[in-house]
Amino acid sequence: MALNTIDRTVRQIVLTVQDYSIFAWNAMLNFFRPPIYWTDFLMQSDIIGVGSLSIVVLSGISTGGVLALQSAATLSAFGATAVTGQFVSLTMIRELGPVLTGVMVSGRNASSMASELGSMVVTEQIDAMRALGVDPLRKLVTPRIFASIAMLFFLTIVADACGIIGGGAVTVFMNHQNGTQYFNMAWEHLRGPDIIQGLVKPLFFGYILGSIGCFYGMRTTGGTQGVGRSTISAVVTASVLIIFVDFLITHVLLTIFT
Amino acid sequence: MMDDVPSILTASAPLHETVPVVELRHASIAFDGPPVLVDVSFTVAPGETRILLGPAGVGKSVLLKLINGLLLPDTGSVLLFGEEISSMTEEELFPLRARTGMVFQEGALFDSLTVRDNVAYQLIQDSNIPDEEIDARVLEALRFVGLEQTFSFFPASLSGGMRRRVAIARALINNPDLLLYDSPTGGLDPITSTNIIELIVKQRDVHRTPSLLVTHRLQDAFTLCTHRFDPEKNAMVPLPKGVTDPNTTFLMLEEGRLIFNGSLHDLLHSENPFVREFLE
Repeated sequence: MALNTIDRTVRQIVLTVQDYSIFAWNAMLNFFRPPIYWTDFLMQSDIIGVGSLSIVVLSGISTGGVLALQSAATLSAFGATAVTGQFVSLTMIRELGPVLTGVMVSGRNASSMASELGSMVVTEQIDAMRALGVDPLRKLVTPRIFASIAMLFFLTIVADACGIIGGGAVTVFMNHQNGTQYFNMAWEHLRGPDIIQGLVKPLFFGYILGSIGCFYGMRTTGGTQGVGRSTISAVVTASVLIIFVDFLITHVLLTIFT
Repeated sequence: MMDDVPSILTASAPLHETVPVVELRHASIAFDGPPVLVDVSFTVAPGETRILLGPAGVGKSVLLKLINGLLLPDTGSVLLFGEEISSMTEEELFPLRARTGMVFQEGALFDSLTVRDNVAYQLIQDSNIPDEEIDARVLEALRFVGLEQTFSFFPASLSGGMRRRVAIARALINNPDLLLYDSPTGGLDPITSTNIIELIVKQRDVHRTPSLLVTHRLQDAFTLCTHRFDPEKNAMVPLPKGVTDPNTTFLMLEEGRLIFNGSLHDLLHSENPFVREFLE
């Protein structure tokens, strides 16, 4: 009995991974084959990018501030508070900026995509779209995935900048250190590979949050309860995948750059 | 009520054309549980209206979705406009679907779009059509269903009956070669139901569009068979006593199997116990 349950669960997981791979691959290919729905892409970019700006700014400033507080407390033990700027900027740009932005934006947008598309599935709007001769994958999914990728890239830059500024504010106004020194250290020790790491990650994270949100939305079953389930699955899966993929990308990029 | 309908005379000559608009050949489909449709075969000829009867949950809606390729059969084949669609890709199906108008059970209007954009959905995808022409065609379609005033409304502000009528306008705007109605009167009050049936009769008699209508309401089915649209009165009128539309015929499903395929006369005189029970 227990073996049967394990067998069923494993089959289910393998099938889901297979379905997701086919879904995500087809959605990506659609961006390079006409028709491309640019209006939908721009609308989604506005919803995802502009709509998420406030949470990204706030979380960026707070994270930078916390990093400055924590690092200054530790570094002061070694008389190295001068490197606070370097510590904050490298941590934000290489790691926390992309991951935090990815998780925050997936919390807001993967859930929104899953619930919106899920509602459309259960009210037969997706079937209606197909019956009207329009491919929902092209019309609804591809613009959302590419808008997620494009916007997460820029939102990560915003989060990085806000984090460094937040760290600077804490350094100057709470730790009473020199602001010029903080920003000099933050800037001078940045290297190309650090920036590349920070800018490559959001491309993957955007793809994950967009494709996972749409995937769970499009396979919704079971009415309004099903929409709730899809929304939860989308947020949980996207967040966990972002953190896991972050580990893989970091490992690969560090291998390349060292 | 059904026994009151006398023997069938013809209101107009039945249409005889060779290539059916829709043909199902031994189509079967199952999902996770027992089979939903088993070995279903029938045709819809040009100019013909077929009424698919059956209680809830026997696979009527699934059958409609098989016809325009929204679902594919596990076995058997489905021919739409003479083309075998069972093995077609989604992209190959789009041109055929564009020739088919489908009215969904609850309307399935797009919540985020106005009535204008819903009705014009197919036209908007074609960037070559100017906005003025789209507006004119939307207004014409809305006029057909008597809802011109809802042009800029959102679906949420419409009643259930109005939403179905907008869905009919959306299905008609591209002058389809086939119409599929999935329980267009389900859950509506009798007056609104009659209005919807009147629209279907109007489309049948004015444009002669072949159609397949799914319903479990016998009253609607019989109204379709025993009425015609009078263009002079711009209203549905009953056919003379004993006369039925010869191009409106019936199908009945029981637990996924097609148990009846014939005229109203045949339906009323069927010996099948399930048909008798359903009629009575």
